[in-house]
This record gives sequence, structure tokens and C-alpha cells, in this order.
Amino acid sequence: MTAAQAVLDRVTRVPGVRGALIASAEDGLVVAEQLMDGVDGRAAAALAGSLVGRLARTADGAGRRAPAFVQLRAERGSILVAPCPKDLVLIAVVAADANVGLARLEMLDAASRLH
Amino acid sequence: MRALEPWVEAPLQTFLAESSARLTLLMTSSGQVVAQHGFSRSLDVMTAAALGAGIGASTEELARLMGSSRFEALVHHGARQSCLLAGFGTPRGRWIGLVVFGPETSVGIVQLFFDQMVQQLASAARRDEPAAVRLPENFEHELDASLKALFGR
Amino acid sequence: MSLVNFTAREITCKIVYYGPGRSGKTTNLQYVYGRVPESRRGRMVSLATQTDRTLFFDFLPLELGSISGFATKFQLYTVPGQSYYNATRKLVLQGADGVVFVADSQARRFDDNLESLQNLQDNLLAQGVDIRQLPVVFQYNKQDLPRDLILTHEEMDDALNFRAVHSFAGDALHGTGVFETLRGISELVLKRLAAGAVAG
Repeated sequence: MTAAQAVLDRVTRVPGVRGALIASAEDGLVVAEQLMDGVDGRAAAALAGSLVGRLARTADGAGRRAPAFVQLRAERGSILVAPCPKDLVLIAVVAADANVGLARLEMLDAASRLH
Repeated sequence: MRALEPWVEAPLQTFLAESSARLTLLMTSSGQVVAQHGFSRSLDVMTAAALGAGIGASTEELARLMGSSRFEALVHHGARQSCLLAGFGTPRGRWIGLVVFGPETSVGIVQLFFDQMVQQLASAARRDEPAAVRLPENFEHELDASLKALFGR
Repeated sequence: MSLVNFTAREITCKIVYYGPGRSGKTTNLQYVYGRVPESRRGRMVSLATQTDRTLFFDFLPLELGSISGFATKFQLYTVPGQSYYNATRKLVLQGADGVVFVADSQARRFDDNLESLQNLQDNLLAQGVDIRQLPVVFQYNKQDLPRDLILTHEEMDDALNFRAVHSFAGDALHGTGVFETLRGISELVLKRLAAGAVAG
């Protein structure tokens, strides 16, 4: 199992996580993914990559450091994004009843291992 | 933004808004311009279309030679701006899209919304039946005089 | 296929200069480029080898001006003449509205002209186009060379111009026949467009 697959495996084991993927932040392209049916990994990678890029620029403009974790809450769940080294982002698509706290811990821990 | 036919406008407008592309050119596979955004000179658009269609045609031939189906998209990464070239089928024949974008967006975003535009174009084309080409009645009559004026002989 | 844009009132036509290698196709475009005012032309693009032989195509966009209120634009292409570039010739030929066949008048190039004309017919046919249905004009280039080296206009017509379409004597390097040829093909292409499209 590659390091990327091991990371995705840990994140997707958290209850309520419908899929996880690693994407290139600058390109918004999928590097590795583990998704349930119906989750569009390509769209998640492109949009999350763009979101993180914009947030980083906004934070920079305000004299703050780039965000270490982003939760985008929507009606039917959330998208969690953790920027990683090497211009990667770890993304999780979670249901509304997911254990977001645990998912966040796993993602931050996993993100630090991705190098 | 300029489009050859009105039904192309809405899908292209959505794509431009969502993708943050700098330049976009839609052309037929023989290099005729269908719609464009961002070019300031119509003659430059024609040149870009000729080159885009040439690249599209040669990569398709290359794919055929290698026994594979078509390449879906070709991306050139540049230091300041990048370029996506992708062919797609429409009810009006095969078209090619050429998109130039900068670091304010990403290839993933451009590809995502490009694919969405392709779907929207397909359904818009089906709703809009092609009209017969009709030129003014005096077109042929004026042609001789115009050619004489244009070529000065 | 010509594109007619009713919103912007524009007509765009694609003209391909065809013929054997070194017959003067690129020279035709270069002469046009040099003589047309900058406002009427775009950049000339030449995808050529290091020795200036056409590798893929030359391309020159032109604005002819207004006809019945329609801005009329032409896209001029050349194809690579050398026989081993047939794949790229086919690509450039796609969707052509008219063809200028630039033949080399030198007697020693007689067979090359015939071979290239046959190749044009074959490539058009492969795209489902009958050459008899397509606007075509001939230009017999290099008519400025010494008489003993070349075939005359009439001899070239006899050898190549079976359908008796318009033909022009040319010396593309110095411009003789270049604009006459372009006018000839423009007229045919636009008349064909008008015949098929004028409101009845």
C-alpha cells in the first residue's frame, strides 16, 4: 500500500466519511482517491484546490498565515480540506452526521505524514 | 465575447465566469471560429483557430497511429499562463476548444467547467435547429463590383 | 465549409494552396502578405522546417472587405508539397471552400504536377468531396523562366486543366498572377456560396 493510499484508508474509516482524496492544490487535479459511488472526485479536487488557493491568498492579503484546515459546511454534509506539504491537499467529503472532529484529527495527522 | 450563433453564448458565458479563463476560443475541426472571448483582433483569432485546429488534428492522427482512441485534452503548462486544448462532439459536428488561463485558476477548474460547457452546448444545440444560410438577394450582383474594388483591378 | 455569421454579418472562407514541393505556394502567400495593408491582414504563420520547407502549413488571414454589408474574411493555407507529408496535407484540406493548384511550369516537374493533382483528387475523395464540385483554379508558376525550360500556359492547360477551369500564368516571386489567382478563387468561392444561400 502506498503512503497516499494508507492516508486515504485512515480517513475513510471515520464514520460518515463518504470519500477522501489527495489532490494537487495548484492544478486541482486528483492524485489519489477513495470514494463512494456518487462522489465526483474530479470536481471535489478542482473546487477544493481552488478554495484553498483563494483562502491562502486572502489570508496572505490580511497578513495572516495560510489556513491549516478548512471546513465547508453545506446542507447535506461538509467538505473538509487539509493542506499538506508538496502543494498537496487532503480532501474529505463527509455526510451531515459524520464525526467531523475525529475526521479533522485524522486528516491533520495524515496530512503531516504526506511528504 | 462573440459567438457565431446565439445559443453558444449562455454556455460560454457560464464557463468564462466559473473558470476565470483569460482567453477562450471555440472552433470547428477545420479551424473556423465559432465563438471567442478575450481576443482584441479578429485576424488574431483566425490565426489561433488555425493553429488550434492543426494541433487538434495532428494529435488525433497521432492517437490513431498509436491505435488508441482520441486524446481528450492537451494541456501546456507555462510559467505565466497555461493552455488547454480539447476536442468534443456537438450535434453540429466536432469542435475544438482552446482555453488560455493564468495562475488565478487551475487546470482542474478549467477542465471541470469546460466539460460542463460541452454538455450545455450539446443540449442547447439540440434545442436550436440550424437555420438555412440566407444571404441578401443582391449579394451575387454586388460581388463583381466588390471584388473589383477589393483587388483594385 | 464557409461560415456565415449573421449576428456579426461576417463570412469566413477557407482557401488552400495545393501543389508539388517548391512550386511556389508559400511564395504566393508571402507576396500577398507583403502587399496587403496591415489593417487587412493578420500575422502570417509558417510552420516550416529549419530549411524553410513547409512542414505543416502556412496560414494567412485576410479581410477582403464588405460585400452587401457582410465583412468577408479569407483564411489562406498552404500544404506541404513533399510527397511524404500526405497526412498533414489531408488535415489542412479539411473543410476547404476552394483550392488553388500551384503548378511548377518547368518541364522537368511535369510528373510532379500530375502526381500532386492526382493526390489532391484522392485526398478530397477520401473526405467525400468530388473535386468537380469544388471551386478550383490553377496557377502555372515560374512562367518567367527561360522558354526552353518551361511549358507554356496552353501546354500546362493541356496537361493539367481537364475541366477547363480558370488558370493563371504566374511568377509568384515577383507577384505576377498572384492577386489575379486570389481574385479568381475568391470569386468562385463566393459565387458558389451565394448560389447556395441567397434568399429565394
